[in-house]
Amino acid sequence: MIEKKSRAVEIKDLKFKYKDQEKESALNNINLNIDRGQFVVIMGPSGAGKSTLANCLNGLIPHFKRGEFSGKVIVNEKDTSDNKVSIMAKEIGLVFQDFEAQLFSTNLELEIAFGPENFKFPREKIKERIKKVLKTVKLEGLENRQPSTLSGGQKQRLAIGSVLSFEPDIICMDEPTTDLDPLGKLGIFNIAEELHEQSDLTLIIIEHETEEALNGDRLLIMDEGEILRDGKPEDVLKEVDFIDEIGIMSLQIPKYFSRISNLSQDELPLRPEEGLQTFNELNLEINEEKYNQILEKEKQRSDSYGEKLIEVKNLHHTYSDGTEALKGIDLDIRDGEFLAVLGHNGSGKTTLVKHFNALLEPTEGSVKISGKETVDSSIFEIGKKIAYAFQNPDHQIFADTVYEEVAFSPKIRGVSEEEIDLRVKEALESVDMLGYEEEDPFSLTKGERQRIAVASILSARPKVIILDEPTTGLDYSEQKQMMDLIKKLNEQGHTIVMITHTMWVVSEYAHRVAVINEGKLSMYGGIRDVFKREEELMKSYLKTPHIVSMSNKMGKTFLSVEEMISCTEGGR
Amino acid sequence: MDMFLYMDKDTFVHNLDPRTKIFVMFGTFTIALLFNSLPVLLALAALVLFYGYSGKVLANLKRIRVILFMIALMSILIWSIVGGGETKLLGPITLEGFIYGLTVAVKFNVMIIAGMIFLSSTTIEGISLGLVKLKIPYRGAFAFSTAIRLVPMIVGTSYTITQAQRSRGLDLDSGSIFEKIKKYVPLIIPTFVSVIRGTNVFSMALESKGFGYDSERTNYLQLSYDKRDYIFMIITFILVAVSIYVKLTFDF
Repeated sequence: MIEKKSRAVEIKDLKFKYKDQEKESALNNINLNIDRGQFVVIMGPSGAGKSTLANCLNGLIPHFKRGEFSGKVIVNEKDTSDNKVSIMAKEIGLVFQDFEAQLFSTNLELEIAFGPENFKFPREKIKERIKKVLKTVKLEGLENRQPSTLSGGQKQRLAIGSVLSFEPDIICMDEPTTDLDPLGKLGIFNIAEELHEQSDLTLIIIEHETEEALNGDRLLIMDEGEILRDGKPEDVLKEVDFIDEIGIMSLQIPKYFSRISNLSQDELPLRPEEGLQTFNELNLEINEEKYNQILEKEKQRSDSYGEKLIEVKNLHHTYSDGTEALKGIDLDIRDGEFLAVLGHNGSGKTTLVKHFNALLEPTEGSVKISGKETVDSSIFEIGKKIAYAFQNPDHQIFADTVYEEVAFSPKIRGVSEEEIDLRVKEALESVDMLGYEEEDPFSLTKGERQRIAVASILSARPKVIILDEPTTGLDYSEQKQMMDLIKKLNEQGHTIVMITHTMWVVSEYAHRVAVINEGKLSMYGGIRDVFKREEELMKSYLKTPHIVSMSNKMGKTFLSVEEMISCTEGGR
Repeated sequence: MDMFLYMDKDTFVHNLDPRTKIFVMFGTFTIALLFNSLPVLLALAALVLFYGYSGKVLANLKRIRVILFMIALMSILIWSIVGGGETKLLGPITLEGFIYGLTVAVKFNVMIIAGMIFLSSTTIEGISLGLVKLKIPYRGAFAFSTAIRLVPMIVGTSYTITQAQRSRGLDLDSGSIFEKIKKYVPLIIPTFVSVIRGTNVFSMALESKGFGYDSERTNYLQLSYDKRDYIFMIITFILVAVSIYVKLTFDF
């Protein structure tokens, strides 16, 4: 075997500007060397150029996506400018975020075989690889299943397997966990760690979750086409202010201590356990009185909820293929509540909320909206009271202008012209998008499209708003913006039901939580009470945010850094 | 929901070589197009249905029952009225026209069913490999099989989109035909956009897995004819040959 150089990736003065990009370039003067065997995590807000960089690594840029390209990208001593994508692919395997679109075979075996077939591996070797890869990505025994029947996490693992199978030295994953539930995410992280430990594979992962970046050897922070930080994750993540400013979620523990103590950056703890230790060392205390005030306020809030808007009694739902998705759910949603519905994919949470606006009807039990059975009314009628924003805004946007899009719902309900005008204005104001009326919705960013999708259901002036994963695929500052908007709507009197996987969002915004597990309500109650029971949550693979975990260890439950700071005393 | 046409069963029809199945399918097309005689077409339909029945894939016909039914209805209606003939039944409707309509309906439905049986019993990889073995370039064969693959993806997406738009108040059930057509705009555009986005990632994923690395590639699946393939080929060949002979000699 030929000895390979220790350098896996070498990038010199890389600049790239997409063909239809007007002003700034997507990448500006990137210089980067990655050594063989390193585990590199790349983070940055939307539009930072992370995916563009990933696409440069195997030559999709400049061969597949066109634009102004300059500089050099050398992977395993092969220059991407001189080699086509399929040749570069042998050196570096690329895994995409959208796992639906990258799988296409009839069964798992053939999916994994596709790469090696192209690279002309002998048939016997392919057989061997399939066996080995299935074991690595933990999909043994499913060789003959159709990829479409797998869960999201399994699909993404298969996508990784279909790249591992042709034995590239380097694997680059572009946000592999963004669309996955907590269990699916965990599966991917475990595989990444194992791959890193077992071989001299070089791993490059673009990731949104700051807490997971701690597993890497090296962390790169990108923004506006440049690499702004490059170092050990422990060191980089201690720069709390910088991370906050750039719009990535900072780690909660160092953030907390940087605000309430004068510890130098190097001394900041990172994880909950270390945090607890530091807390004791600094002789910090929680002010009981202030903590009780918070609890009291929360009680007042729950007492102020109005009448029952949605009543669910002994709800069962069995799909026509015999799948029993819901097995007896009892739940009441009152006017003014903010309920988060948690649970991994396939738990039945989407099935549950689809009953709230009559997209589905109970096969047993009942769902009442303001006292009326959903079976006795139509979606059209219920739609006036209950609006449903689907996860992917691109599944509903169709109009040429933002105005048309938002006006769709009232127009179809026969509202007068002036009234429509008023409602569109009001809805756009709520989502902070006034002035965008004449824009083409398709040209907006994902975060903006998500907000237009919300505006377009607000214009129907519903009482209850159901949101299916409203923050998926958004970066931290977009997520925060989206959630602040939803909070505002809740304060204006809308009742909110939100499906989500993002635990810090639940922690900081929701009032109540329902955890669905295998078609049953496994936990249900006030947010603080539920998040106190950390171990029980872990059974559904739900991990509480760091600040919650740390405060739980002290016997209190704080839901956000700010809340905990407001109750901290002493030390200083 | 399972959107794929392929039904994973272990029957001898599934185990036939894709080339054999392609041959059987085209054989069926040839015979169907050759004759305008109701008895012959009905006999052919019986044969095709039996073939599908032994492959246990007839359940898939349920999915296209509306299409099959509409073709039959339209064909019978139109030909009954414009077909002409001696035996008047009711107004302009004639018995000859009715029978001709029925014949055309059977002819087209048999072809659709034969195609459906082929797609339900053959994996996409099998189809593309079969085409490659029949000397069609790999890229072409792959493009063809990709087109088949896209159908379930489009159906799946449009299902979600329909639910999203109905939640916003889109009511597809009421209104005149023209109003209804207009109502489909909010469904078609997002479907189109989603599919285009999806296919873009799809093609990047293909390239990233070495598609087009070399003009040759290994085939993990292996095709080989066995005794049953030869039997089926011979039967189909004889049937087609006899049909052509009969057609030419007796002008049926």
